[in-house]
Amino acid sequence: MTDYWLSKLFFDLRQPDRAAGYRRDPAAVVAEYPLTPELRSAVLANDVARLAPHTNPYLLRYFFAAIGMSDAEFIQRLRASGASTGVRAGG
Amino acid sequence: MADLVGIYAASHGPLIARDWEKLPAPLKARLSAAFDELGRRLRAARVDVIVGVAPDHWTNFFLDNLPALCIGIGVEHDPPPEPFLADFAARHPTISGAPAFARHILATALACDFEPAHSHRLRLDHGLCLPLQRLGLEPLPAVVPILINELEPPMPSLGRCCDWGRLLREAIRSYAEPMRVALLATGGLSHSIGEPSMGAIDEAFDRRCLDAFAAGDQAKLLDVLEAGMPRAGNGAHEVRNWLVAHGAAGGRGFRCLDYIPAPEIYLGCAFAAWGT
Repeated sequence: MTDYWLSKLFFDLRQPDRAAGYRRDPAAVVAEYPLTPELRSAVLANDVARLAPHTNPYLLRYFFAAIGMSDAEFIQRLRASGASTGVRAGG
Repeated sequence: MADLVGIYAASHGPLIARDWEKLPAPLKARLSAAFDELGRRLRAARVDVIVGVAPDHWTNFFLDNLPALCIGIGVEHDPPPEPFLADFAARHPTISGAPAFARHILATALACDFEPAHSHRLRLDHGLCLPLQRLGLEPLPAVVPILINELEPPMPSLGRCCDWGRLLREAIRSYAEPMRVALLATGGLSHSIGEPSMGAIDEAFDRRCLDAFAAGDQAKLLDVLEAGMPRAGNGAHEVRNWLVAHGAAGGRGFRCLDYIPAPEIYLGCAFAAWGT
Protein backbone atom coordinates (compact mmCIF):
# COMPACT_ATOMS: atom_id res chain seq x y z
CA MET A 1 0.00 0.00 0.00
CA THR A 2 1.41 3.37 -1.02
CA ASP A 3 2.17 5.58 1.96
CA TYR A 4 1.64 9.21 1.08
CA TRP A 5 4.03 10.77 3.61
CA LEU A 6 6.83 8.31 2.93
CA SER A 7 6.46 9.05 -0.76
CA LYS A 8 6.34 12.78 -0.01
CA LEU A 9 9.58 12.57 1.95
CA PHE A 10 11.28 10.77 -0.92
CA PHE A 11 9.83 13.21 -3.45
CA ASP A 12 10.98 16.24 -1.43
CA LEU A 13 14.49 14.82 -1.16
CA ARG A 14 14.84 15.19 -4.93
CA GLN A 15 15.66 18.83 -4.12
CA PRO A 16 19.47 18.95 -3.69
CA ASP A 17 19.29 21.31 -0.69
CA ARG A 18 16.75 19.12 1.03
CA ALA A 19 18.83 16.00 0.34
CA ALA A 20 21.93 17.70 1.77
CA GLY A 21 19.94 18.57 4.91
CA TYR A 22 18.84 14.97 5.21
CA ARG A 23 22.39 13.68 4.92
CA ARG A 24 23.43 16.05 7.74
CA ASP A 25 20.57 15.14 10.08
CA PRO A 26 18.22 12.39 8.89
CA ALA A 27 16.21 12.21 12.11
CA ALA A 28 15.42 15.93 12.08
CA VAL A 29 14.11 15.79 8.51
CA VAL A 30 12.13 12.60 9.06
CA ALA A 31 10.53 14.16 12.14
CA GLU A 32 8.87 16.75 9.89
CA TYR A 33 6.75 14.03 8.27
CA PRO A 34 3.85 12.26 10.03
CA LEU A 35 5.16 8.78 9.35
CA THR A 36 4.09 5.72 11.29
CA PRO A 37 6.71 4.62 13.84
CA GLU A 38 7.39 1.52 11.73
CA LEU A 39 8.09 3.50 8.58
CA ARG A 40 10.09 6.13 10.44
CA SER A 41 12.40 3.48 11.83
CA ALA A 42 12.64 1.77 8.44
CA VAL A 43 13.72 5.04 6.81
CA LEU A 44 16.34 5.73 9.45
CA ALA A 45 17.60 2.16 9.16
CA ASN A 46 17.83 2.42 5.34
CA ASP A 47 15.70 -0.71 5.24
CA VAL A 48 14.98 -1.30 1.56
CA ALA A 49 12.84 -4.38 2.18
CA ARG A 50 10.49 -2.67 4.64
CA LEU A 51 10.16 0.51 2.56
CA ALA A 52 9.71 -1.02 -0.90
CA PRO A 53 6.06 -2.09 -0.49
CA HIS A 54 5.02 1.43 0.55
CA THR A 55 6.20 3.68 -2.23
CA ASN A 56 6.83 3.96 -5.94
CA PRO A 57 9.96 2.07 -7.04
CA TYR A 58 11.40 5.15 -8.77
CA LEU A 59 10.98 7.22 -5.58
CA LEU A 60 12.62 4.41 -3.62
CA ARG A 61 15.54 4.48 -6.03
CA TYR A 62 15.84 8.27 -5.85
CA PHE A 63 15.89 8.17 -2.05
CA PHE A 64 18.69 5.63 -1.81
CA ALA A 65 20.66 7.48 -4.47
CA ALA A 66 20.15 10.75 -2.55
CA ILE A 67 21.57 9.27 0.64
CA GLY A 68 24.60 8.00 -1.26
CA MET A 69 23.94 4.26 -1.51
CA SER A 70 25.66 2.74 -4.55
CA ASP A 71 23.56 1.12 -7.27
CA ALA A 72 25.25 -2.22 -6.57
CA GLU A 73 24.36 -2.11 -2.87
CA PHE A 74 20.80 -0.94 -3.60
CA ILE A 75 20.24 -3.69 -6.17
CA GLN A 76 21.62 -6.31 -3.80
CA ARG A 77 19.20 -5.18 -1.07
CA LEU A 78 16.29 -5.05 -3.51
CA ARG A 79 16.95 -8.62 -4.58
CA ALA A 80 17.06 -9.74 -0.96
CA SER A 81 13.80 -7.86 -0.30
CA GLY A 82 12.10 -9.44 -3.29
CA ALA A 83 13.08 -12.88 -2.10
CA SER A 84 11.76 -12.27 1.40
CA THR A 85 8.72 -10.00 1.08
CA GLY A 86 7.64 -9.58 -2.51
CA VAL A 87 6.98 -6.06 -3.74
CA ARG A 88 4.19 -3.79 -4.71
CA ALA A 89 2.74 -5.06 -7.96
CA GLY A 90 2.26 -3.11 -11.14
CA GLY A 91 4.97 -0.56 -11.29
CA MET B 1 -1.22 23.50 -42.59
CA ALA B 2 1.43 21.84 -40.52
CA ASP B 3 3.29 18.79 -41.82
CA LEU B 4 4.23 15.73 -39.84
CA VAL B 5 7.70 15.21 -41.26
CA GLY B 6 9.14 12.55 -38.97
CA ILE B 7 8.21 10.08 -36.26
CA TYR B 8 10.96 8.63 -34.12
CA ALA B 9 11.55 6.72 -30.92
CA ALA B 10 14.59 6.55 -28.66
CA SER B 11 15.25 5.09 -25.23
CA HIS B 12 16.34 7.57 -22.57
CA GLY B 13 18.20 5.66 -19.83
CA PRO B 14 19.81 8.20 -17.50
CA LEU B 15 23.00 6.15 -17.16
CA ILE B 16 23.72 6.99 -20.80
CA ALA B 17 24.61 10.42 -19.40
CA ARG B 18 25.46 9.72 -15.74
CA ASP B 19 27.88 6.87 -16.41
CA TRP B 20 29.00 7.78 -19.93
CA GLU B 21 32.71 7.91 -19.14
CA LYS B 22 32.58 4.44 -17.53
CA LEU B 23 30.77 2.67 -20.38
CA PRO B 24 32.66 0.26 -22.66
CA ALA B 25 33.84 1.89 -25.88
CA PRO B 26 31.84 -0.42 -28.20
CA LEU B 27 28.61 0.41 -26.35
CA LYS B 28 29.36 4.12 -26.46
CA ALA B 29 30.06 3.90 -30.19
CA ARG B 30 26.80 2.09 -30.86
CA LEU B 31 24.71 4.45 -28.73
CA SER B 32 26.35 7.45 -30.37
CA ALA B 33 25.75 6.05 -33.85
CA ALA B 34 22.05 5.53 -33.13
CA PHE B 35 21.51 8.98 -31.63
CA ASP B 36 23.55 10.55 -34.43
CA GLU B 37 21.43 8.84 -37.07
CA LEU B 38 18.22 10.13 -35.47
CA GLY B 39 19.77 13.59 -35.19
CA ARG B 40 20.77 13.48 -38.84
CA ARG B 41 17.21 12.58 -39.84
CA LEU B 42 15.70 15.35 -37.71
CA ARG B 43 18.07 17.93 -39.18
CA ALA B 44 17.36 16.71 -42.72
CA ALA B 45 13.62 17.02 -42.02
CA ARG B 46 14.16 20.72 -41.09
CA VAL B 47 11.95 20.37 -38.06
CA ASP B 48 10.39 23.49 -36.51
CA VAL B 49 8.66 21.75 -33.61
CA ILE B 50 9.22 18.47 -31.80
CA VAL B 51 6.20 16.93 -30.10
CA GLY B 52 8.02 15.05 -27.36
CA VAL B 53 6.15 12.15 -25.78
CA ALA B 54 7.71 11.03 -22.52
CA PRO B 55 6.97 10.18 -18.91
CA ASP B 56 7.37 12.60 -16.01
CA HIS B 57 9.91 11.08 -13.61
CA TRP B 58 8.39 12.65 -10.48
CA THR B 59 9.66 16.01 -11.73
CA ASN B 60 6.44 18.00 -12.23
CA PHE B 61 3.81 15.74 -10.73
CA PHE B 62 3.36 13.91 -7.45
CA LEU B 63 0.66 11.87 -5.76
CA ASP B 64 -1.13 15.13 -4.95
CA ASN B 65 -1.98 15.64 -8.58
CA LEU B 66 -1.06 13.01 -11.13
CA PRO B 67 -2.43 13.59 -14.62
CA ALA B 68 -2.79 10.63 -16.95
CA LEU B 69 -1.55 12.88 -19.75
CA CYS B 70 -0.42 16.50 -19.70
CA ILE B 71 0.27 18.77 -22.66
CA GLY B 72 2.82 21.54 -22.15
CA ILE B 73 1.35 24.67 -23.74
CA GLY B 74 3.84 27.13 -22.25
CA VAL B 75 5.89 29.73 -24.07
CA GLU B 76 8.90 28.04 -22.55
CA HIS B 77 9.81 25.08 -20.38
CA ASP B 78 12.36 24.67 -17.63
CA PRO B 79 15.53 22.63 -18.18
CA PRO B 80 16.25 19.22 -16.65
CA PRO B 81 16.98 19.07 -12.91
CA GLU B 82 19.28 16.03 -13.05
CA PRO B 83 22.93 16.83 -12.24
CA PHE B 84 24.09 14.58 -15.08
CA LEU B 85 22.33 16.90 -17.55
CA ALA B 86 23.76 20.08 -16.02
CA ASP B 87 25.66 20.93 -19.23
CA PHE B 88 22.49 20.74 -21.29
CA ALA B 89 20.61 22.80 -18.69
CA ALA B 90 23.35 25.44 -18.73
CA ARG B 91 23.16 25.67 -22.54
CA HIS B 92 19.35 25.76 -22.41
CA PRO B 93 18.27 27.72 -19.34
CA THR B 94 14.83 27.62 -20.92
CA ILE B 95 13.49 25.47 -23.74
CA SER B 96 11.11 27.14 -26.18
CA GLY B 97 7.57 25.86 -26.47
CA ALA B 98 5.11 26.34 -29.32
CA PRO B 99 2.15 27.73 -27.39
CA ALA B 100 -0.27 28.40 -30.25
CA PHE B 101 0.29 24.97 -31.76
CA ALA B 102 0.13 23.30 -28.34
CA ARG B 103 -3.17 25.03 -27.62
CA HIS B 104 -4.46 23.75 -30.95
CA ILE B 105 -3.54 20.20 -29.90
CA LEU B 106 -5.31 20.78 -26.59
CA ALA B 107 -8.42 22.20 -28.26
CA THR B 108 -8.48 19.39 -30.82
CA ALA B 109 -8.23 16.82 -28.04
CA LEU B 110 -11.07 18.34 -26.04
CA ALA B 111 -13.26 18.63 -29.16
CA CYS B 112 -12.67 14.90 -29.73
CA ASP B 113 -13.67 13.93 -26.17
CA PHE B 114 -10.13 13.47 -24.88
CA GLU B 115 -9.50 15.22 -21.56
CA PRO B 116 -5.79 15.92 -21.13
CA ALA B 117 -4.36 18.06 -18.37
CA HIS B 118 -2.35 21.02 -19.54
CA SER B 119 0.46 23.06 -18.06
CA HIS B 120 1.80 26.52 -18.79
CA ARG B 121 5.21 25.63 -17.43
CA LEU B 122 6.76 22.21 -17.28
CA ARG B 123 10.23 21.16 -16.29
CA LEU B 124 11.55 18.70 -18.87
CA ASP B 125 13.54 15.94 -17.20
CA HIS B 126 15.91 13.35 -18.68
CA GLY B 127 12.95 11.59 -20.33
CA LEU B 128 13.00 14.22 -23.07
CA CYS B 129 16.24 16.05 -22.48
CA LEU B 130 18.62 13.10 -22.58
CA PRO B 131 17.58 12.25 -26.16
CA LEU B 132 17.46 15.95 -27.07
CA GLN B 133 21.00 16.38 -25.77
CA ARG B 134 22.29 13.31 -27.58
CA LEU B 135 20.57 14.19 -30.87
CA GLY B 136 22.80 17.25 -31.06
CA LEU B 137 20.15 19.60 -32.41
CA GLU B 138 21.50 23.13 -32.15
CA PRO B 139 19.58 25.33 -32.22
CA LEU B 140 16.99 23.23 -30.50
CA PRO B 141 13.59 23.20 -32.24
CA ALA B 142 10.61 24.30 -30.15
CA VAL B 143 9.25 21.47 -28.02
CA VAL B 144 5.65 20.59 -27.19
CA PRO B 145 5.94 18.08 -24.35
CA ILE B 146 3.27 15.46 -23.86
CA LEU B 147 3.87 13.75 -20.54
CA ILE B 148 2.11 10.46 -19.87
CA ASN B 149 1.84 8.82 -16.46
CA GLU B 150 3.88 5.64 -16.87
CA LEU B 151 5.41 5.49 -13.41
CA GLU B 152 2.54 5.19 -10.96
CA PRO B 153 -0.39 2.82 -11.51
CA PRO B 154 -3.09 3.05 -12.67
CA MET B 155 -1.92 4.21 -16.10
CA PRO B 156 -3.63 4.98 -19.40
CA SER B 157 -4.54 1.89 -21.40
CA LEU B 158 -2.32 0.84 -24.28
CA GLY B 159 -5.14 1.26 -26.78
CA ARG B 160 -5.81 4.80 -25.59
CA CYS B 161 -2.18 5.68 -26.26
CA CYS B 162 -2.62 4.54 -29.88
CA ASP B 163 -5.75 6.73 -30.04
CA TRP B 164 -3.72 9.67 -28.76
CA GLY B 165 -1.30 9.17 -31.63
CA ARG B 166 -4.09 9.30 -34.19
CA LEU B 167 -5.45 12.41 -32.50
CA LEU B 168 -2.04 14.08 -32.68
CA ARG B 169 -1.80 13.25 -36.38
CA GLU B 170 -5.16 14.95 -36.93
CA ALA B 171 -4.22 17.94 -34.79
CA ILE B 172 -1.00 18.44 -36.78
CA ARG B 173 -2.82 18.09 -40.09
CA SER B 174 -5.51 20.58 -39.09
CA TYR B 175 -3.17 23.28 -37.76
CA ALA B 176 -3.54 26.32 -40.02
CA GLU B 177 0.03 27.61 -39.90
CA PRO B 178 2.79 26.10 -42.04
CA MET B 179 5.07 24.25 -39.68
CA ARG B 180 7.28 21.17 -39.87
CA VAL B 181 6.56 18.88 -36.95
CA ALA B 182 8.33 15.73 -35.77
CA LEU B 183 7.14 13.40 -33.07
CA LEU B 184 9.76 11.96 -30.73
CA ALA B 185 8.67 9.17 -28.41
CA THR B 186 11.15 8.29 -25.68
CA GLY B 187 11.70 5.54 -23.13
CA GLY B 188 11.44 1.76 -23.06
CA LEU B 189 12.00 -0.94 -23.86
CA SER B 190 12.44 -3.50 -21.05
CA HIS B 191 14.05 -2.18 -17.89
CA SER B 192 13.42 -2.33 -14.19
CA ILE B 193 14.01 0.51 -11.74
CA GLY B 194 13.73 0.21 -7.96
CA GLU B 195 12.29 -3.30 -8.15
CA PRO B 196 13.93 -6.59 -7.12
CA SER B 197 14.54 -7.23 -10.82
CA MET B 198 16.41 -3.90 -11.17
CA GLY B 199 18.99 -4.16 -13.93
CA ALA B 200 17.27 -7.07 -15.67
CA ILE B 201 16.61 -6.85 -19.41
CA ASP B 202 13.99 -9.03 -21.13
CA GLU B 203 15.60 -9.35 -24.53
CA ALA B 204 13.02 -11.86 -25.78
CA PHE B 205 10.21 -9.41 -24.96
CA ASP B 206 12.07 -6.53 -26.56
CA ARG B 207 12.57 -8.46 -29.79
CA ARG B 208 8.92 -9.55 -29.94
CA CYS B 209 7.91 -5.98 -29.27
CA LEU B 210 10.18 -4.59 -32.01
CA ASP B 211 8.92 -7.18 -34.50
CA ALA B 212 5.31 -6.29 -33.69
CA PHE B 213 5.94 -2.55 -34.05
CA ALA B 214 7.71 -3.20 -37.35
CA ALA B 215 4.75 -5.22 -38.65
CA GLY B 216 2.35 -2.49 -37.55
CA ASP B 217 -0.63 -4.77 -36.83
CA GLN B 218 -2.09 -3.03 -33.79
CA ALA B 219 -4.13 -5.92 -32.41
CA LYS B 220 -1.10 -8.19 -32.53
CA LEU B 221 1.12 -5.47 -31.12
CA LEU B 222 -1.14 -4.88 -28.14
CA ASP B 223 -1.37 -8.64 -27.51
CA VAL B 224 2.43 -8.88 -27.45
CA LEU B 225 2.69 -5.95 -25.06
CA GLU B 226 -0.13 -7.00 -22.73
CA ALA B 227 1.38 -10.49 -22.50
CA GLY B 228 4.99 -9.44 -22.00
CA MET B 229 4.97 -6.16 -20.10
CA PRO B 230 4.22 -7.63 -16.66
CA ARG B 231 7.62 -9.36 -16.78
CA ALA B 232 9.59 -6.72 -18.67
CA GLY B 233 10.15 -4.38 -15.71
CA ASN B 234 8.35 -1.22 -14.65
CA GLY B 235 10.31 0.84 -17.18
CA ALA B 236 8.65 -1.09 -19.99
CA HIS B 237 5.50 0.92 -19.28
CA GLU B 238 7.18 3.70 -21.24
CA VAL B 239 6.38 1.76 -24.41
CA ARG B 240 3.11 3.73 -24.22
CA ASN B 241 5.02 6.60 -25.82
CA TRP B 242 5.97 4.33 -28.69
CA LEU B 243 2.28 3.47 -29.10
CA VAL B 244 1.50 7.17 -29.45
CA ALA B 245 4.06 7.26 -32.25
CA HIS B 246 2.53 4.13 -33.79
CA GLY B 247 -0.88 5.83 -33.78
CA ALA B 248 0.52 9.07 -35.19
CA ALA B 249 2.07 7.08 -38.04
CA GLY B 250 -1.37 5.76 -38.93
CA GLY B 251 -0.43 2.26 -37.81
CA ARG B 252 2.34 1.87 -40.37
CA GLY B 253 5.16 -0.30 -39.20
CA PHE B 254 8.45 1.21 -38.15
CA ARG B 255 12.04 0.50 -38.98
CA CYS B 256 14.18 -0.43 -36.00
CA LEU B 257 17.44 1.51 -36.32
CA ASP B 258 19.17 -0.38 -33.55
CA TYR B 259 18.45 -2.52 -30.52
CA ILE B 260 21.09 -2.74 -27.82
CA PRO B 261 20.43 -4.91 -24.77
CA ALA B 262 22.81 -3.07 -22.44
CA PRO B 263 23.05 -4.27 -18.84
CA GLU B 264 25.61 -1.51 -18.17
CA ILE B 265 22.77 1.00 -18.40
CA TYR B 266 20.04 -1.38 -17.12
CA LEU B 267 18.24 -1.01 -20.44
CA GLY B 268 16.90 -2.76 -23.49
CA CYS B 269 17.80 0.27 -25.56
CA ALA B 270 16.09 0.81 -28.90
CA PHE B 271 15.82 3.37 -31.67
CA ALA B 272 13.24 3.48 -34.45
CA ALA B 273 11.78 5.57 -37.25
CA TRP B 274 8.30 5.37 -38.72
CA GLY B 275 7.25 6.44 -42.20
CA THR B 276 5.00 9.51 -42.14
